Amino acid sequence: MEWVETTGRTVEDAKEAALDELGVDEADAEFEVLAEAQTGLFGRLRSEARVRARVKPTAPRSKDDRRDRRRRNGRSQSTASGTSAGRASGGRSPRSATGERDADGTGPDEPAPTPSGTGSGDSADDAQDQSARRRRRRPRSRTRSETPGGAPLDVSGATDDSPLTKAPEATAKGTDVEVALEEQADIAKEFLTELTAEFGLEATVAINRSDDDTVELQLTGGDLGILIGPKGATLVAIQNLTRTVVYNETGANNGHINVDVGGYRQKRAEALARFATQVANTVKQTGQRTAMEPMSSIDRKVVHDTITGIDGVSTISEGEEPRRRVVVLPD
Amino acid sequence: MTPSDGGALDEVEGDEWEDAGHPEGGRARTVLQLLATRLVDNPDAVRVETSEARNGIKLSLHVAPDDMGKVIGRRGRVAQSIRSVVRAAGARDGVDVFVDIVD
Repeated sequence: MEWVETTGRTVEDAKEAALDELGVDEADAEFEVLAEAQTGLFGRLRSEARVRARVKPTAPRSKDDRRDRRRRNGRSQSTASGTSAGRASGGRSPRSATGERDADGTGPDEPAPTPSGTGSGDSADDAQDQSARRRRRRPRSRTRSETPGGAPLDVSGATDDSPLTKAPEATAKGTDVEVALEEQADIAKEFLTELTAEFGLEATVAINRSDDDTVELQLTGGDLGILIGPKGATLVAIQNLTRTVVYNETGANNGHINVDVGGYRQKRAEALARFATQVANTVKQTGQRTAMEPMSSIDRKVVHDTITGIDGVSTISEGEEPRRRVVVLPD
Repeated sequence: MTPSDGGALDEVEGDEWEDAGHPEGGRARTVLQLLATRLVDNPDAVRVETSEARNGIKLSLHVAPDDMGKVIGRRGRVAQSIRSVVRAAGARDGVDVFVDIVD
């Protein structure tokens, strides 16, 4: 299991950076604080906080495992006992149980995986009511994701009384709300449409289902470069805000929302993946570790993910932001 | 201290600025207003004030006290994103924009 090392102004920052890099939830990661940040005179930063993190070792192949767990419904449950006993005590597996119960056990108030589809006949008030309720439960989900150790406890508590649980209680307890990706995507689309209009841009927002739990909002139109910004910084910000808005309004803890403008991210990722594959092959042939140039965490993730799928090489990140880079190692 | 005088002066400056084609901060302001409104629980409490800064304009964002966390986010991540997007909106008008989140 590979470790990544990150730095930040505070330990929290560094942890956050590590999570970005690993692409997992805080509950699925394990941290080691290497150094606290030290402040010098007048609060100037003398040295950054450093942490080491890795995905909690729950299964031999981290990447597949991650995908597996994200899928959570049905499949992960039925296969969990077979593939890895460790996973049950890990991060997500118990939650998938919660998610399923949300879906079928807790009655009409609980947002089922396809609330927008089935609820279209209901009044709009009803839908608003629902989103308001999800809002209220949001702080709890925050707290919980910050205390990974507490997660299994939470869930077991919910399991005990689940059959008798009334909806409001379940609402308070069930911190992972499964919201249909379609519903999340609709909110994202509406937000992005509004945002581009305020920018005075004419953009079309398309919703593409990338895979089981990822949806991509693709903006197309003329003159959208301003939404990408230097090195894609504005695009990253727009994506962050879109995710935050969707989360605020749904409380959804499932699925991933990506935002892309004019295929920028995809082109960039494709080129990067090709390049990473080349580097990996060279490393395999020469047996020499190779450091790549510094990249953003998003780009590094593309490299990590690409090379994880190649046998005989592995990757780590080293250096400090903004000059942090991926190093490709021969096995 | 004559508040009315001060108010009048402010208004004149504001009007001149609007004449220059940047109604109260232009796109940057409306974008900030939109973002803040969508991020908070109390959209009615969102207020954006425009003032001149050295090399551009300053937008001061006011939200309900309970919503401060919403517009700042964990380790300032939301605030950072807001600034980034609002600056891009300002750049479209050719204006340098600073966002100040006021508590």
